[in-house]
Amino acid sequence: MEIQLKLYGSSKILSEKDILVVQLPNNSNIERLRDVLSKIISQKHSKNNLENLPNTAAFFSEKDEVVDDNYQLKDKEFISIIPPIGGG
Amino acid sequence: MGLHAALVNIEKKKISPDEAKKFIFSEKNGAESIFIGRVRNENSGKKVTAVTYEAHNQAVIKSFESICNDSKNKFDKSAKIFLEHAIGYMPVGEISILIAVGSGHRDEAFKICRYILEEIKNQSPIWKKEHYIDGKEEWLPGRSLRAKVVEK
Repeated sequence: MEIQLKLYGSSKILSEKDILVVQLPNNSNIERLRDVLSKIISQKHSKNNLENLPNTAAFFSEKDEVVDDNYQLKDKEFISIIPPIGGG
Repeated sequence: MGLHAALVNIEKKKISPDEAKKFIFSEKNGAESIFIGRVRNENSGKKVTAVTYEAHNQAVIKSFESICNDSKNKFDKSAKIFLEHAIGYMPVGEISILIAVGSGHRDEAFKICRYILEEIKNQSPIWKKEHYIDGKEEWLPGRSLRAKVVEK
């Protein structure tokens, strides 16, 4: 299965586009997504100080609500990664 | 009514204190509190030339409305609130956030203004990238919205 991950803030370095397509095992949840992102970062972006991102980011569903680590992802689902915020 | 909350694309429109003052004016109000945040030219010893703000627009507007309504319920239900936060690239000196509150009394006006600012920092998915004089740029660290950050 795959999901479309909308990138914000520091996570935008993961792709030249705003959306990163992430390949996942079937029946993956957010916790698995964190693991896969850790691998992507260690393999392709190890010099970008993003190693904490999979652990500190929140994820929004298509309804713009935070989903927890047990949230079951669906194939082709659109998910937003929310790195630590810094507005105001 | 009595609430205006918006994100402003600074490359198309500037945030206007005059607009805010007009919005919050009421003859019922004896106090107006206005907070203006601007892009400053230094951070942690680095010379800053500009910042870029990015937001998850829909979630930010939801959070703004929720925060403002909470503040009214806590301090003054009849307060008038104008809140705008900039997104986009902006040089030093530009207004990045404006919170204006009209209330019956000064204590409530100050409290609402402060409450909104602090809760935006805690809740609203907005990110800031600083641009430095040496040409480098950096997304600033912030507050995690993950319910419980797990140490690994």
